[in-house]
Amino acid sequence: MPLQNLQVGYLFSSTGSYELVARSMLNGALLAAEEVNASGLGIRLEPSVVNPGGDLSQYSALATTLLKRNIRHVVGCYTSSSRKEVIPLFEKHDALLWYPSHYEGFESSTNVIYTGAAPNQHVLPLVEYLLAHHGHRAFCVGSNYIWAWENNRILRESITARGGSVLAERYFAVGETDFHQAIEAIIEARPSFVFLTLIGTSAYQFFRDFRAACRARGIDQAKEMPVASCSLSEPELEAIGGEAVDGHLSSSVYFCSIQSPANLRFLKAYELRFPEGPTASADAEASYNAVWLLARSAAAAGTDDPRVIKAEIVHQRLDAPQGKVWIDEQTFHAYLTPRIGRSNRNAKFDLISAARAPVQPDPYLVHNSARFEAAAVPSLRLVS
Amino acid sequence: MTEPRLLQNFSGGRAIVVTDRASSLEILLTTLNRLGVGTDPADIFERAAAIDATTLQPDRDIIFIDGDIDDVAVLPLSPIGRLAPAPIIGLLGVSAPSRLKALMRAGATSFLRKPIHGAAVYPALFVGVNEYRRHRHLEALLEGHDRRRRGRRDVVKAIIRTMAEYGVDDDEAYDLLRRRSMKTRQTMEDLCKDLIRSADGQEHGECVPRRKLAD
Repeated sequence: MPLQNLQVGYLFSSTGSYELVARSMLNGALLAAEEVNASGLGIRLEPSVVNPGGDLSQYSALATTLLKRNIRHVVGCYTSSSRKEVIPLFEKHDALLWYPSHYEGFESSTNVIYTGAAPNQHVLPLVEYLLAHHGHRAFCVGSNYIWAWENNRILRESITARGGSVLAERYFAVGETDFHQAIEAIIEARPSFVFLTLIGTSAYQFFRDFRAACRARGIDQAKEMPVASCSLSEPELEAIGGEAVDGHLSSSVYFCSIQSPANLRFLKAYELRFPEGPTASADAEASYNAVWLLARSAAAAGTDDPRVIKAEIVHQRLDAPQGKVWIDEQTFHAYLTPRIGRSNRNAKFDLISAARAPVQPDPYLVHNSARFEAAAVPSLRLVS
Repeated sequence: MTEPRLLQNFSGGRAIVVTDRASSLEILLTTLNRLGVGTDPADIFERAAAIDATTLQPDRDIIFIDGDIDDVAVLPLSPIGRLAPAPIIGLLGVSAPSRLKALMRAGATSFLRKPIHGAAVYPALFVGVNEYRRHRHLEALLEGHDRRRRGRRDVVKAIIRTMAEYGVDDDEAYDLLRRRSMKTRQTMEDLCKDLIRSADGQEHGECVPRRKLAD
């Protein structure tokens, strides 16, 4: 008997310091479920939505609640720390977490399907772009957790190998909004660019304060010290707002400004369904894609058994808003199309570069990194 | 001697597995493939003695030895650091001291607990391979120091001879010898050994050209 109803959990922090992105992710997942249910695919998704509120301890509590209700598929998590918090639970219950956000890689749990960008699909393209167009002196500012630490390591290795330098790395607690000293240090150091891995409200405040501090000194910040990020998305541009919204670089596999019939359809449906926002984002699209991939795999497999669905999903090809998307059978990460955008005054991104085709995910950077860690520049002196 | 850089990308590596339970290797082999480490069925052995140690390459091969088999410690070990010809990662079923000791004696520099968890493989590789490389580096340093220690006798002799021959004090004699060793790109110990040997040869009437220090 074919599967008719599929219970699915949605685990998103629709309140808390990174609520804006998480709400857009939830919206993307909800929209996909409604489209699946109306599509005639022969399967009806029944989402159960829970909100950990950005509290790490709530992630495991709520994931346990969902799994104990015999829900075997959960779409959710934004931060890597929350994902790592719940993975043991999914392994214990042999369920599947559909993780719909970009992340720093170096993971491939057998109980996770990763539909967001791996580091070779967003971090490395941005590093390449920055080194080619903006110079070799970086100043890193980030939220104090694995996302920032690992991205900065990748940047440091790439830049050191080319004779460049990381002038400083500054880390702040998630939710921190006082960046006065860091901004003074940046202006003093005059880097070629600022590599930003702050998330949520911390990032929005930094953008505003940095722009204001530069303007007060007559510095054209966007031109002289652009801020580059691998996580900045459209709803966050709206949150930054005002005079600080334009001129920032972002590396992502999805921007709202992609001109394709599939994306225009997605945006139209999204805006109609969620007129109050937040605007669609890369992570909203990854959530939308995750739910569609789950529904199609479950419909084709005729069961919600995670093992059967994992075997089926590698045969699915999705015409996603960003273009073709499919799952790599070795790593269970997605083939995605890297792009780089520059924010404009309309709180959107102008596309400035894009890969020609979807890129194979390389979560461990097996094909995209040096065999050894970057060597420190030797300090030699002339002795005779 | 420069300290070895950390190895963080294991692509191009070859896994050799020693176990009598090959059917339970799926997660290990799948994860190794994701990390770019080749896993050929021909490289899975039931006994460590079946590995041809002469073909092992320390910068390519990584050996996984199941601690639950009997003959874990059969690969030849280096005399100083007691290192195997390639990094060894122990697979732990029973974690009793006797099995841990056996794997350490076999040269294991890292462990993976059975049943193997995919997320544990990269850290085990990272620690096991880099510890092996660090031990090998320290071993080479120790060998070098040992060689130099053995050569100190010739250095002392050469200093005394130089003092007598050139009428200088010990510091100046050492300085002369040091400069000569740098010029000829020899270690102090090798230079002094040559000087002592050539001087001894003259004393014994052999025709060994005497080296000059101040040329």
